Amino acid sequence: MSADDELIDDPALASNATVEVGAVSVWFGPKVALSELTCSFGPGVSGLLGPNGAGKTTLMRAITGLVGVNEGSIRVNGRDPRRDRSVHADMALVPEDEAVPAGLTARQFTHYLASLHRITDREAPEIALRTVDLLDVADRQVDTFSKGMRQRAKIAAALVTGPQVLVLDEPLNGADPVQRAHLIELFKHLGAAGRTVIVSSHVLNEVERMADRVIVLVHGRLAAAGGHRAIRDAMDDTPRHVLVRADDGRRLAAALVGLDSVTGVNFDPARGELIVLTLQARELAVALPRLAKHASVRLLEVRPLDDSLESLFRELVR
Amino acid sequence: MTVPVAAPSHPWRPRPRLLTILLYTWRSCFPRKRWAAILVPCAGALLFGLLARAVDNFPTAERAFANVAAEGIFSLVLPIAALVIGDSVLGSEIRAGSFHFTWLSPVPTWQIVLGRWVGGATVALVTIAPAAALAAVVAGSPSSAWPAFVAAAFGGVAYVAIFITIGCVTRRTAVWSLAFVFLVERLLGAVLTGIAQLSPTWESRAIFVGLLDDPPNRLIRDGIPSGTDAIVRLIIVTLVALALADWRMRHLRLSGAAD
Repeated sequence: MSADDELIDDPALASNATVEVGAVSVWFGPKVALSELTCSFGPGVSGLLGPNGAGKTTLMRAITGLVGVNEGSIRVNGRDPRRDRSVHADMALVPEDEAVPAGLTARQFTHYLASLHRITDREAPEIALRTVDLLDVADRQVDTFSKGMRQRAKIAAALVTGPQVLVLDEPLNGADPVQRAHLIELFKHLGAAGRTVIVSSHVLNEVERMADRVIVLVHGRLAAAGGHRAIRDAMDDTPRHVLVRADDGRRLAAALVGLDSVTGVNFDPARGELIVLTLQARELAVALPRLAKHASVRLLEVRPLDDSLESLFRELVR
Repeated sequence: MTVPVAAPSHPWRPRPRLLTILLYTWRSCFPRKRWAAILVPCAGALLFGLLARAVDNFPTAERAFANVAAEGIFSLVLPIAALVIGDSVLGSEIRAGSFHFTWLSPVPTWQIVLGRWVGGATVALVTIAPAAALAAVVAGSPSSAWPAFVAAAFGGVAYVAIFITIGCVTRRTAVWSLAFVFLVERLLGAVLTGIAQLSPTWESRAIFVGLLDDPPNRLIRDGIPSGTDAIVRLIIVTLVALALADWRMRHLRLSGAAD
């Protein structure tokens, strides 16, 4: 096997990479935002997933050159975005910040970006505004828009430049369900057209709907990478804690110990609560009611204690 | 058969980048509150003109205005109004987190710096400089109006360049700009001629005094060029400040509004 094949086998690396992140570390004073992160992105939609504070925004800012890296290197189409400003002709960022230029209408905003990027297609600004469904309010000032509309205005301003690499930081924030679906289709369409689309989110289901592959960051480190199915499987393999309350907790605990899907049971007699540790949450969910019925125990409450995405992320990096 | 293509309802014509940045600067960097913050010190210049008219311990109105203008207009009104303008064209936008829309474009940084500076300098030219000239008229010394206008104009554009540079270095533009004006220029510049020679306050005073027909001896400072020589000095200061701003802008770290 050649070295190249080995590289491509790494799920964090894209086979036809346009954005390469090589052993990148970024810190702000004592706070480490990214730590020796290596990954790459190619044509198609890639999801950047992680809890708040994972380093997603810092990575996106580093990819676009807004933030320099302390160690490692970033290349976009083979060029360093901090040193070679020509790279910005092929790249656009939609930041999560709500900040937009003051006093500009949505139309003036797209015109401004189009002029800076020397776009010659005179219809490009109107097409970009129409694409994000802002044509009707294009003459309203962007700083008077709602959060979702600002996001769409920023997406229009990015689209008007015709970027080959589109970096979107939580682009669905504030969007209503209809707009969400519309934007997801738009990103998928751009990815299918050969653009490199990098979308960050802390919502797994959202990323699943649009991204072909996912990079998971936790505490500035690479926690997992690959297709969303592989990511979900990895999450399914992590131990879960499930709280169970029943009218006879002691009897239920004894019965649970015999289940294959259960790896441990802690019983709190004072509260009548059981904390069940399982590696197969789905199997436990199916087996638990049957077991309770068989043991003549009445279930009062069944609640996963760590089903939030953040707790799953934490499990991934243990 | 050809299919007719509908013309865009809002025809748009791409503009040169420098002009685009200049128009953006005028349109976006000066909301109403900023204009108010610029015009208040300019109104202060007129009050200094009234003050010069009121004082009667000088032999001529020109002398009275020269003394009041040196301390009030060129040392106070000019730097404060220019600070507001310089912060508006760059520092405030970096702090707000919207500057990266401009920075993340293939436009060379020198064009961004130049566009912002021209935008700020023109605002200084239509606010501070006329206010200084009008103050001379209010003071009853119309012959001082042109020297005051020229001095405030060159001082203003130099200050805007310096404050843009400070905006590229730190997010606390206002604090560091005030420190530059009151600690470096006023305190150190008062005792060290070398600093005064690079100071827009001292050089604009020197321009003003050099262009007066009958300048008060008290305002003539040894070691500082006056008149047109001071204009040349301020042009050099402006160019160096813009070059520094360009260099700093290439290395900006834009970590967002929240950071």
